[in-house]
Amino acid sequence: MIGEPQKRISPKALKVWKIYGVIETLIVAAVAAGAITLTVMFEWPQWIITAAVAVLILFTYLFVFFIPTIKWKRWRYEVREQEIELQRGIFIVKRTLVPMVRVQHVDTVQGPILKKYRLATITISTAATVHEIPALDVEEADELRNSISQLARVAEDDV
Amino acid sequence: MSEHKRLHPISAVANFVKQLKDLIVPFVFLFVLNNRGEKTGFWDYMPVISMAAVLVFVLVTGIVKWLRFTYRVEEGELRIEYGLFVKKKRYIPIDRIQSLNFSEGILHRPFGLVKVKVETAGSSNPRESEAELTAILKEEAIELEGMIYREKKGNIVTDDLAGENTVTLKDEAPFFNLSSNDIWVLATTSGGVGVIISGVFVFLSQFNEFIPYEAVYDELAVFVKSGVFVVSVMAFLGLLVAWLLSIAWTFIIYGDFRIKIVDDHIVMTRGLLEKKQVTVPLNRVQGIRVVENPIRQLLGYCTVHIENAGGSVLEKDSTSIKLFPIVKKKRIQGLLNDLFPDYVIHDDFKRLPGRSLRRYVFRQAIWVVVPTAAVCFMYWPYGLWVGLLMIPFGILGYYQYRAGGWKIVDGQLSLQYRGVLKNTMHIKKSRIQSLDTHESWFQTRKDLGSLRTTIKSGETGYASPIRDLEKKDLQTIASWFSHSV
Repeated sequence: MIGEPQKRISPKALKVWKIYGVIETLIVAAVAAGAITLTVMFEWPQWIITAAVAVLILFTYLFVFFIPTIKWKRWRYEVREQEIELQRGIFIVKRTLVPMVRVQHVDTVQGPILKKYRLATITISTAATVHEIPALDVEEADELRNSISQLARVAEDDV
Repeated sequence: MSEHKRLHPISAVANFVKQLKDLIVPFVFLFVLNNRGEKTGFWDYMPVISMAAVLVFVLVTGIVKWLRFTYRVEEGELRIEYGLFVKKKRYIPIDRIQSLNFSEGILHRPFGLVKVKVETAGSSNPRESEAELTAILKEEAIELEGMIYREKKGNIVTDDLAGENTVTLKDEAPFFNLSSNDIWVLATTSGGVGVIISGVFVFLSQFNEFIPYEAVYDELAVFVKSGVFVVSVMAFLGLLVAWLLSIAWTFIIYGDFRIKIVDDHIVMTRGLLEKKQVTVPLNRVQGIRVVENPIRQLLGYCTVHIENAGGSVLEKDSTSIKLFPIVKKKRIQGLLNDLFPDYVIHDDFKRLPGRSLRRYVFRQAIWVVVPTAAVCFMYWPYGLWVGLLMIPFGILGYYQYRAGGWKIVDGQLSLQYRGVLKNTMHIKKSRIQSLDTHESWFQTRKDLGSLRTTIKSGETGYASPIRDLEKKDLQTIASWFSHSV
């Protein structure tokens, strides 16, 4: 836990997150467009338009460029024989240790966008918590899922 | 006991009463609607008739349900068959039964009956995996318990021994019980005491205004005239009554509280009106938590919870069980050492570094900054007074800082932290489900980090957070927890 975990997630994750960002931005853009239209129609003060545009630009920058990049840079994981270590976070670096004995089951999940890029998300469940490694290559995810479940089976415990 | 057994007929009545309780609101509604105007034709009586029909229906279904419900122990399984229209069978392997919890309601006690809840380890669907026997004779329940006990021990224990066991269960002096003094402390130091203090303040603030007045008669005149006073007295009296009720309630719930140790189970009984017996297998205990609210802390009392892995969603208390609802803090070390010899109960913690104090105070005070700013904006300059609220919040932050601490003894991690209540959590390394560390940019600058451990408690987890630990300490804890490195 002293050094950072070794493995990075797939570089394609960055693309996927950017797509998510674009989708979110489109929603915000629709709201901003609505606000601007209303402002023009009812002759509300001009600053509303400025604010809407500023928010949209800021949002686009944050959600399409800034946050996905940092998120990707920060995301690391490592599956060792006895434990799983995760590191993530944008402004706050979060690191998690999950002992292998505590793992109850592992799932891989794939949404339509992830599928297009041949990626999958792994979720690791313990009796009390759920942890996620987003966007791994499908083969890697499958392999990891199998190996975690193998390792978890070796170390059976009561809870 | 392989023959099909029925519940006591009173369970049909209990079913009926329970259904009736759910129907009260629609009935009252119907009744009020119906009471307007003259009643002439059939349609005006329709609501009353339908009400009667529903009542009869409920009564009949209650009886039929009772008739259809049978239970028996067969081939190492507790087999329950029930169902009104669809016959359902539920077979629970006795190995999977964690414990039987008994409770005796007001309906049960005159007939010597108990309600039995079957607790299993909690499988994927907690609502499905357990069973409830609404009313069976106490002897039968004890027999059932003995039978389960015997099955679990693999039939080694003979009947006599099991018999003896039930006897000891009844007569042995309790390991821990609450005296009525303890219950007083429990009742008076729960949330209700805040109510009374605020009441006293209202009262005193009134007198403060009166004291400068010259003659007592004048005061009396003002007394009567001042509506504010009357209102505040009324409010105070209302609160007082509420408080007394809460004390009475505490007595009813926690009266006759006692804990016994039977084999490796903790058996807790409590309640004056409704007697409850809860059994917790010791090996299901995931962690021990000592909770002190500020008033109890002053008086040297605390509450001890055990986090329980089993337990069901349906029973609120079964996940975080109050092992000792109220106990002198001095006593817990001795008590817990007897119960859980492998836990090290201590009060000697490594505290937080001085530089995190600022973050604690700031974090609490910041909540007030926003409303203060808003109020200042609207009511300048008097709004600034709202800023004074920062002081109590800041003080809370200070005490949260003071409470924070950690300690590792062999395979055990103890954490101390405070929201408003001060928590001391003792967890075994092998019980921790996951360990998180957080580090924000501001914390990195100061070489600090936050910690959170999650253990299983009921169906979900219980997380214990500590903020702003020394980063080196954080690493120590993480590498203690880590299996490699």
